[in-house]
Amino acid sequence: MMNWQARQGFLGQESTDVLRNGRVGIVGLGGGGSHIAQQLAHIGVENFVLCDPDHYEDKNHNRTVGGTPADVEAKTPKVRIAQRLIRDINPKARVSAVKHRWQNALPFLRGCDAVFGCVDSYTERDQLERVSRRFLVPYIDIGMDVSIAEAGHAVHGQVVLSLPGSLCMHCFNFLRPELLELEAQDYGRAGGRPQVIWPNGVLASTAVGLFIQLILPWHRDVRLGSVMYDYDGNRHTMILSPRVSALSSVACSHFDGLEGEGDPFWNAGDAINPTMQAGVKILHPDSSTTSSI
Amino acid sequence: MRKMRGDLLRPHGHAAERVGFISCRFGTSDDGLLILGRDYHPVEDEHYEFDPMVGARFGAAAIRSALQIALSNGVGIFHIHCHEHLGEPRPSRVDWTEWAKFVPNFWHARPELPHGALLLSTNRMSSWCWFPGQNDPMKISRFTVVGQRLRYWEAV
Repeated sequence: MMNWQARQGFLGQESTDVLRNGRVGIVGLGGGGSHIAQQLAHIGVENFVLCDPDHYEDKNHNRTVGGTPADVEAKTPKVRIAQRLIRDINPKARVSAVKHRWQNALPFLRGCDAVFGCVDSYTERDQLERVSRRFLVPYIDIGMDVSIAEAGHAVHGQVVLSLPGSLCMHCFNFLRPELLELEAQDYGRAGGRPQVIWPNGVLASTAVGLFIQLILPWHRDVRLGSVMYDYDGNRHTMILSPRVSALSSVACSHFDGLEGEGDPFWNAGDAINPTMQAGVKILHPDSSTTSSI
Repeated sequence: MRKMRGDLLRPHGHAAERVGFISCRFGTSDDGLLILGRDYHPVEDEHYEFDPMVGARFGAAAIRSALQIALSNGVGIFHIHCHEHLGEPRPSRVDWTEWAKFVPNFWHARPELPHGALLLSTNRMSSWCWFPGQNDPMKISRFTVVGQRLRYWEAV
């Protein structure tokens, strides 16, 4: 174990190798994604796929970890800022920085062990979850919002771990057809939503904790299926969504078969090349229901 | 894995070990082929043939059943069995002989897809994948079990 990881030895003897060999995707490198990138690099994850089409702007500076005024001036791509942040922490890290929409980086994301979604829209969340399910990739979604409340503003958000074979964001009622439809109708008219750094940090930390719990469980009394946490930024609480307990013995009806998995256009003839590596992913049948934590 | 391993380790009336099949779909990532296994299909009790020379011998009915799965669902089929020890499981000579006999059968149902074999030990896996038209199988380099915890390891 490397010295700088000595204080996290409780994660197990193999934790350094597990973290070093793991590969994570982060979609959206703004307020949430930059926190996640920073934390994962500190923990010891060494393989990253970063996707964000945007460059750094003045309006991002209130919440993006690692961004500087010089980046505003230089219009540095957000993925480059995150890449720099990761490599400053761990020079050995291998970072694929994709300055495009994540849909253009699918081959990179398919090979990830987990994908973090830090995107703004329900539609993108829905698409990210569908792609993740198709390639048996655990998907961890975070998001925050600020709405008008009676006594001022309400800061709230959510963290969802969507495990293939287990409940999905539709099961949790977080994604609903009417929301997706409403968003589609309003496409292009949504302005910039309020975003601040501290809720992003809380949500990102919870997402990182769920990921570490998934790959390096440090105690046995938690059986982790898909989960959703509700964040109340006014009361500073993060609670397990009541939907999780209510659905504890229910199987996902939205992604329930093999027919949805893999690449429908996959062709063995195109795939073969002499230097190709191959990996097997097997879905653990015990992930079909959630368990409360 | 527990369900699969539990079934594979269940005693049988005359066979010394059990075998099964995993149906797989495929995709490509930036660093290679992804083989995505979801459903485990055990070989039925009555489909084992008595043969004291090998751990398990299954008959034509078991192969027909796996072929039907491949045909109906458009999936590749991976044969699976278990060697009960720690560390990397290595196929026996009998394993190689049997795989070479029955893996090509799956191309009768799905000639366009790879098929293969997967070998479990107590804590590791080994796997080989046969591509259509290729005699030599490709050794799988990485395994990930996606579930309530995520377990992955490199092939030794």
